[in-house]
This record gives sequence, C-alpha cells and structure tokens, in this order.
Amino acid sequence: MTISRRDFLKIAGVTAGCAVIPTLAVHAGSSNQPGEQVSMLYDATICVGCNACTNACRQWNNTTPETDNRELYDAPSELSAKTWTMIQLYQEGEVHSFVKRQCMHCIDPACVSGCPVSALQKSAEGPVTYDPNRCIGCRYCMYTCPFHIPRFQWDKVIPVVAKCTFCHDRIIAGKGPACAERCPTGALIWGKRDDLLARAEARIGADEKRYINKVYGKNDAGGTSVLYLSGVPFEKLGLEDVGSEPIPNLSEGTAKIVLPGIVLGGPFVLGLIRLVSNRGGWEESWPV
Amino acid sequence: MASIITPRKSTLPAHFFPLLALTLLAIGLSIYRLVVGLGPTTNMSDHYPWGIWITIDLFIIPMAGAAFTISLISFFFGYDDYRAVLRPAVVAGFVGYSIVGVLLFLDIGRWNQFYNIFNPGILNLHSFLEEISLCVTLYMVILILEVLPIFLENTRYEHSIKWIEAGIYVIAGTGILLSTLHQSSLGSLFLLLSHKLHPLWYTPALPLLFFLQAGYTGLGATAIAITLVSRSKNLPIDRKLMRRIGQAMGINLLLYISIRIGDWMGAGEIPLLLKPDAFGWIAWLELSIGILIPLAILFTKLVRHSQGPFWAGVFALLGTFINRLMITWVGLAEPSPTTYMPSWIEIMITVGFIAGGYLVYDRIVYYFKLIPEKRTAK
Repeated sequence: MTISRRDFLKIAGVTAGCAVIPTLAVHAGSSNQPGEQVSMLYDATICVGCNACTNACRQWNNTTPETDNRELYDAPSELSAKTWTMIQLYQEGEVHSFVKRQCMHCIDPACVSGCPVSALQKSAEGPVTYDPNRCIGCRYCMYTCPFHIPRFQWDKVIPVVAKCTFCHDRIIAGKGPACAERCPTGALIWGKRDDLLARAEARIGADEKRYINKVYGKNDAGGTSVLYLSGVPFEKLGLEDVGSEPIPNLSEGTAKIVLPGIVLGGPFVLGLIRLVSNRGGWEESWPV
Repeated sequence: MASIITPRKSTLPAHFFPLLALTLLAIGLSIYRLVVGLGPTTNMSDHYPWGIWITIDLFIIPMAGAAFTISLISFFFGYDDYRAVLRPAVVAGFVGYSIVGVLLFLDIGRWNQFYNIFNPGILNLHSFLEEISLCVTLYMVILILEVLPIFLENTRYEHSIKWIEAGIYVIAGTGILLSTLHQSSLGSLFLLLSHKLHPLWYTPALPLLFFLQAGYTGLGATAIAITLVSRSKNLPIDRKLMRRIGQAMGINLLLYISIRIGDWMGAGEIPLLLKPDAFGWIAWLELSIGILIPLAILFTKLVRHSQGPFWAGVFALLGTFINRLMITWVGLAEPSPTTYMPSWIEIMITVGFIAGGYLVYDRIVYYFKLIPEKRTAK
C-alpha cells in the first residue's frame, strides 16, 4: 500500500484533531427521531414458546441450527454466533414465562460508541448494523453491551462478531423483521416505536393484573428499539436494571472534556511547570 | 594435562538460551494461533471475550510509563539528577510497548485488517479504544526518536540525529501528552462498563486513577531497573537518586490512595470493603501490598536504605498487577456457568514474549551505555 502525501496529511490532520473533533461530531444515522424508528414489541404473556421466530431467523439469515445431542431438534441453550434469537423459559414453582432474546437495538448503543472502527452503526432506520469489512475483532462491543448480546465466531480463523441485525436488509426493502412477520400468536409485532409504545401502554391499562406495570426498553439504557411486556418481574427474565441513562453518556462526556483539555491545555501546563519549577532538590522538606 | 589454552569466555549469560527458547516457542505458537484462530488456542469465550493478554497489556503499559514520568520530572520539573535514569526508562518503555503491540495483534480476531484503526474514513473518535490505538502508535514513534541516540552516538551517523537533541523538549513534551492521554484513556475504557465492573474497582475517576497509577508504577519499575542494571554492571547504586525516585513515587501513591478512598466514601462503598467476600479481601490485599507497604517504606527511614525504593517498587508493581487483574478479568466476570482460565498456549505466548523483551533489554544494557558512569554536574 502506498500512501500519498495527501493521505498522509489527512491522517496527520485526523490524529492531531483526535481530541477536538468529538466535540463537533454528531451521531451517525440520527436523522430519524427514535419514535419514528422501526421497533419490535414482545409480549411475554402471549408467547407460547413455539420458536417459529428462531426458525424464521435461521432461514432468512442462513444460520446453522445448534442441535441437541441426538441431532433431532434445534436446541440452542443461549445466544451464540450461530443463534441470533431464541426463546428461553423461566420457571419457578407454578409460575412460568417465555422470553425472547435478541439484540435490543438501543437508541444510543454502547457498542457503537465503543467500536474503534465504526463497524457497528446505528442506522437511520433504527437497527444497529455490523460491517465485517471494518471490524478488527477487538471484542470491546461484547463488554460494552449492557445486555450481553454480541457473540464471536471463536471457531473461525478470521471470525466475525454476530448478533441480530433486525433484518436491516428486509427493513430497507420495506418488509418487517423475519421473526416478527412469522410469529403466529401476535406476541411479537413490529412497527414505529411510538406506535408500539402506545399499544404496549394501552395493553397494560386494559388489564393491569396481567402485566408488570412497565414497558421494558422504554427508558432502559436510554431506550431500546425492542420493547418488552411481561407478567413476571423483568429481572426474572434476565432483563436487568441497567438504569435509564444512555450507557455512552459518561464515556463520551469525558472524552469531550478530557481529550481537548489534555491536547490543548497540556502544552501550556508543561510550559508553566518548566517556567516556575525551581531546580533545587526537595529532600529538605521530606519528612524523613 | 592442564590446558594452556583458556577458552574465550562467552559474553552470553547463562539464562540467554533458556529465555531464547521460550521466545522462539512463543513465536511458533503465535504463528499457530494466527493460522488456526482463537478458539482452538485460547480459553476465551462469549462469556469471557478478553483473556490474560489484555490483563498483561494493561499491566505492562503503566510499567512502561516510566519513560514519561522520568521525562516529566527531569525535563519539565527540572530535576536534572533524574536524567541519569532517562535512558533505562525509555528503552524499557520501548521494549514494553513492543510486547503490548505483539500481544494486541495476536488478540484481535480480524488481524488481517488491523490497519483499519488508522483509516481516517472509518475510525470512531468517540471510542477510547480508538484514541488509545492512535496515541500508542504515535507514542511508539516518540520512543523510537528518544531511543535512537543511544544506538547512533559515537557512530558515523551521529550527526544525523543532532536534531533530536535540539528538539528534545518538543519530543519529550509530545511524549508526555500522548502518555497522559493513553494512560488515562485505558481507565476511560471502563466508563462504558459501569454496569459490569465490580463497584470496588469501578469509578468515574478511573481515568485519573489510571494516570496516577502509571506514574508510581513507572517510577517503581525504574527503581527496579536501576538496581538490576547496576548490579549486572557492577556499578554502585546512586542512593540519592534512588531516594528521589522513591519520593516522587510516594507523592503519587498518596494522591492515588486519597482519591481512591475519597471515591469509596463518596459512593458509599466502604461497606463493600468490610464485607467478608472474596472481593473485599482482594481489595484489602491490593491496598496493603500495592499502597500501604510502599508508603511504609517511602515515608520512613527505610527510603534511605539502598534497597528501600527497590522493594517499594516491587510491592507497588504487585499491587498494580492485582488492580489490573481485577479490572480486566475477575471484577468484570458476568454471572455465567463457565469460568475462564488461560490456556497453556495463551500463557506460553505471554511468558515467551516477556522473556524475549527481557533478552532484548538485557542485551541493550550490555552493549550500549544506558547509565552514565559519572553523573554530569549541572
């Protein structure tokens, strides 16, 4: 690879400005208001655990089934690089509930904020997308995700990060996500986030005994594009309390203050230190 | 019959070949890892996406912070005595960062396109990981500039590096700023992980804590390096200089522990410290070994002992190791049915490249003049 002078200047300029630009940069793909973005609503009180969604996902995304030891059933036990969505069962005494797992497609995703090479992006339509041609496989996204979603192809020589794409290709083509279009019970529906939120809240209002009085994902982690209704406490379904603040706020806020502060203020501080420092020793004032 | 020919004494120390063997093994295993992937060679998994390599990286980087701490004290605070240890510190920094570079390259899954971190079209300036990548790369350039005179002085290329000496304040200053950026940014990496890292180790002040920790860990590593280099070259240890390094370390340690305890109190996390679970015990272990023992040495008459700062450094390094181990591994573990222990390949690659780094450092110390025999009086 040859680097022209123009490229060199570009790189030099970018690195020199590496602390300044974050203050100017805007979020990629924030053109659509969150309420307008495509979302899913999963109602755990309706779901019968038929796994049609898991199958629809496999068919559309060409993922390999993870069979049980008799190789009869597709029986993944948790999300993996091969399984991007699945139904899990919570059971305690008489009480039980199914819960669907997949990427939550946060409105302000921590994985997108942390990804060094912008391989993960929040698309204008809403889905959080992944570009393997950019990814270096650092796996920071797997740590930053508050929902433990991104998985890695550990068995591949050059692996990719794998997670639900919200069928971004289908969304662009005007269709819905494969799982939601396949769901036979209506437990999983898709649409505009605002509409789904209204419907979720209407369901709670219509039957307060059936539901926990909360739409998980409305504000959690700053809001997600996948919303949950449940009859059992959300923690029981593995939907933890992650706070209502977008995860990237602290990190990006720190970057905006600390990086320009050091780059611009550092030389002055160093110069000042040089000017005022006396050249003597300090051991006279040392306690021992 | 006694031989009249005395065989020429080898200049290679006894440990040379075992360490070389370890290094070669690590190189072989690295090639194997690149060819077959991470799954067959490491014990990392979806529940433990980072392993021992990241822990070692985050331990070596503050150790290699010696270069910037000594630069700051000697060039900018004007304590010229410290310039005597600038070279061992800078060379150690260069070797340390090289080990980190190798381990990171092996760690990233899609190493075939690692250069994407330099692609201005896609690099993400919100990401502290990206900022660290850029700053560490630039800092390597600075370290090379600072190391070059050691190799080129008294050769016919000496005149071609005169500009380095002329611009040393700019070069050293840039190095200090880049170090400040990436040492603190290593802590900032965990600002996105507030919901995962154990509260005794997580704090929004992590960037500042990591920066101060790099300060005292680097100074401790310098005290250790001077002691070992002086011993191997049979030079007397400059006690006054060692004491001064100890004093700088002591000030850093005091700042660090005040902020750490202040943060615990502010966040109401003191009860966690008194809880008799593993995390509470480890926090106490880290504090005693890494902070209290060094402080006990540095703020008593022990600091005047020729071995005082050396041992303060050893304990501070151990403490930093425990700290980085908790932050990158134990304190980050999610509730999961599996646990992580590094595979023998991960361990041998780590050990091998550290052995290789030590060999390179040892040979540079042997062949080049890192410590002036006689300090020039200012």
